[in-house]
Amino acid sequence: MFTPTPRVQVPSVAAKGEIFQVKALISHQMETGLRRDPQGDVIPRKIINRFACRYNDIVVFGVDLHEAMAANPYIEFYLSATESGRLEFIWEEDGGHTYALTHQLTVG
Amino acid sequence: MVEETKANTVSFTRRAVLTAAATAGAGLAGDAFISPVDASDTGDDGVTIVKQLAGRTLVESDRIHLVMPRTFPNGYTVPLSLEIDCPMTEADHVRNVRVFAPRNPLIEVVCFHFAPRRSEPRVSTRIRLAEPQYVLAVAEMNDGALLMNKTWVEAATNGCA
Repeated sequence: MFTPTPRVQVPSVAAKGEIFQVKALISHQMETGLRRDPQGDVIPRKIINRFACRYNDIVVFGVDLHEAMAANPYIEFYLSATESGRLEFIWEEDGGHTYALTHQLTVG
Repeated sequence: MVEETKANTVSFTRRAVLTAAATAGAGLAGDAFISPVDASDTGDDGVTIVKQLAGRTLVESDRIHLVMPRTFPNGYTVPLSLEIDCPMTEADHVRNVRVFAPRNPLIEVVCFHFAPRRSEPRVSTRIRLAEPQYVLAVAEMNDGALLMNKTWVEAATNGCA
């Protein structure tokens, strides 16, 4: 079975008030639930249905993903560097499994 | 783990929305004759369906910049970037932006949530498209206004099969 691997690209240092870019990607087949296997049975839906970014435990960016997101969903977004601390990235899969990454950001 | 409101568990299929639209529109049949805009497949840019989903008036706005290629060789990974002109202060910010592909089998694509002063209303991602169509972005502002913009995309292959 294929294991989803989350990855992020975030700066480690940012100036106060700076807008910085975050690139988040998870390798995931994003099975839409619309396809059938060779026996004609529907392949059950299994997608990443939610992504969230927490900055010192405050949700600063979130995404609800539906079936029409491409496989290996890639999300690029921009945050404001308010204070040093921990960035947490969480991907939530159908069935409740989550994948997470954390990153330390120094604002100076 | 992840708080905030959970995504709508109801999936809006094209059929369900059209059926609802037809039922709701029965009383307005006279209107339908005057206006050629209908929810059927012919010549519809999808705005009608998205209006049904949003349940409120959409204002077409050039504050929303929805950038996608006009033609793309496959429907599996069509790039999408979105930017909204907005200062993101407490008094004026984007709450969320929803993206719709009205001619996909399931028309909701994605919804982005933003936080004032913390995130910028600017994102890029990749989506699936079933056939050539208008892709719509609907931004909900803090005052509840719904701003909309759309762009025509022709994907050469069906990304939803």
